[in-house]
Amino acid sequence: MIGPTLLLRFFRRELKNRFAGSLSGGVWVLLQPLLQLAVTSFVFVHVFKARVPGADAPGYLPFLATAFWPWTAFAEALLRSTTAIQDNAALIGKVALPREVLVVASVLSSFAIHCIGYLVILLVLAAFGYDIHLSHLLLALPLYLLLLSLALGAALLCAAVQVFVRDLVQLLGQTLPLLMFTAPVYYARDLLPEKFRGLIDLNPFTFYAEAFRGILLDYGDIPPGRIGVAVAIALLTLFVGHQVFRRLDPHFEDFL
Amino acid sequence: MSDVLVKAHDLGKAWPKVHRSSDRLRALGRLLFRGNDRDRVSVLQGVNLEIRRGESLGLIGENGAGKSTLLKLITGVLTPTTGSVRVNGEIGALLELGAGFHPEYSGRDNVAMAAALHGLDGTELREKLPEIIAFADIGHYIDEPVKHYSSGMVVRLGFAVIAALKPDLLVTDEVLAVGDESFQKKCVKWIEDYLANGGTLILVSHSMYHVQKLCRHACWLRGGEVAMYGDVFDVTQSYLAWHERKSAAMQPARADAQSGVEFALLGVAINDDESETPALLEMGGTLRIRVRVRSREDRVPCVMIGIVRADGTPVYGVSTEIDGMVPQRSADGEYVCSIEFRDLALLPGSYGIRIHPMDTEGVRVFDTIERSIVMRGASREFGLVRLAHRWQDSTEAGA
Repeated sequence: MIGPTLLLRFFRRELKNRFAGSLSGGVWVLLQPLLQLAVTSFVFVHVFKARVPGADAPGYLPFLATAFWPWTAFAEALLRSTTAIQDNAALIGKVALPREVLVVASVLSSFAIHCIGYLVILLVLAAFGYDIHLSHLLLALPLYLLLLSLALGAALLCAAVQVFVRDLVQLLGQTLPLLMFTAPVYYARDLLPEKFRGLIDLNPFTFYAEAFRGILLDYGDIPPGRIGVAVAIALLTLFVGHQVFRRLDPHFEDFL
Repeated sequence: MSDVLVKAHDLGKAWPKVHRSSDRLRALGRLLFRGNDRDRVSVLQGVNLEIRRGESLGLIGENGAGKSTLLKLITGVLTPTTGSVRVNGEIGALLELGAGFHPEYSGRDNVAMAAALHGLDGTELREKLPEIIAFADIGHYIDEPVKHYSSGMVVRLGFAVIAALKPDLLVTDEVLAVGDESFQKKCVKWIEDYLANGGTLILVSHSMYHVQKLCRHACWLRGGEVAMYGDVFDVTQSYLAWHERKSAAMQPARADAQSGVEFALLGVAINDDESETPALLEMGGTLRIRVRVRSREDRVPCVMIGIVRADGTPVYGVSTEIDGMVPQRSADGEYVCSIEFRDLALLPGSYGIRIHPMDTEGVRVFDTIERSIVMRGASREFGLVRLAHRWQDSTEAGA
């Protein structure tokens, strides 16, 4: 059982870690997504002239932003927390502690930081007159939490395996962009050739990209069956990740 | 107050053999699907320990004997490969340097983390923080990153945290060796108070002084197994005796005298025992040495007897010639002499007895036999022998 004080300490340490040494400190949390939004807007809207198909389609910028920020949170959480155990080898070798706290704190910090970024982006887009359903933000929260549990499950699995197989994090660095491009983050499902449209459902993130748009932009609809499947996948991942972690946990010290 | 705090049963630890990276993958597969991994190097085996509340145990042994591994198993940092260990209480552990301090963060930050790791919440930490900072006594360094600390400061801070937590069981690994004199004294004082108030201690140290001062029992680990367990004086003395024998054995063997020479030793009996096994003697006891010498030309030999510490340091030497004694003729070409040391003042430890036959004039040495004796006794005095002494009353001295 993880004590809340301990989790909070590691969570704070994670946050501090990211901003330690940077001049702007916490301001960076707000600045970074805005800069990214500006760059994306320039490249995709003004250079590529990207459009979203459909009569009542939202602008490309909100279309991309609603799916891209949750993806960033997910990808970064996974990539960072995979080395959470390995990076804390010195601590693990000297103090008995529930090791999953290291992974959980790392995942939580990514999701917390990008949650703030996400909110900032949505508010800015709304302020620029895009049709964002800010009143649906509370509905988006459970979705964000579901994505968090999926990330947590995957992170526990990866962090445990990383102790044994050090190439995992490199492999993950290569695989994550692949996962992003096979999910409808930069494009809408309708733009795909007919035969690929069903295939992207194999990518677990497809659901999240479309569900966030469904809730916040009212673009596309999500049948309840897909929600059920997504919940099942997230919980199963969490369960499997936790089981594998617990199984390997007693042997971490031997391989660190 | 006699409930068992730590109980280890057939405790063992083995490390996996990992030479190539493919071994790691194989180990992962075995652990995931079969639950065990057999290809291992054992570092600790068959350790049975029972530590009761209020006990103090010193853990001694050479480098690599498994002391730190045992501590890590007890604190739960490592998982046992065989057997089990159970601890019924809160452990405060100071393993090696720093106890898991992160070098990038300030001392204050690390204290907060250490407190959280020991289950303290925010309010409890706020209460204890001034006490910790006062005990560590490292001044403004408390707000500097730990990487700028000297090793002594790291230990000061680590010890201060543990001292404030007052755990049921205190586990320290060579911690006292790092701090300076005044901090060592402070720590020793603190541990003594802690023990007096019913605390339990496991101390790893190469300083027999600290072990004897703080612990009532000792456990000697050798090659991953318990070589000896019991009263601290018995164990530390055997350990030191073993060490002295070992370092003596490392020195090149002296050239043995030839047998066809004029004078040769036929036998040496220590307390009537002619065997080569070390004789056990109590401090203050009696040591009798009986020497038989063969003389080729039936000339009277002179016999030299020396007592050395196991590392070769001479303690005392005397010969028949010095004392004006003459060995007695027992048969054709055979001479015998006996010597007795009473109220033996040798301090506990291991010693060697060297016997040399010399020519009649006491000039040339012809042969050497070395026997060892082990002095036993509960003494914390230093050196080789107990010199007669008396503490003077201060009033008497002033008068």
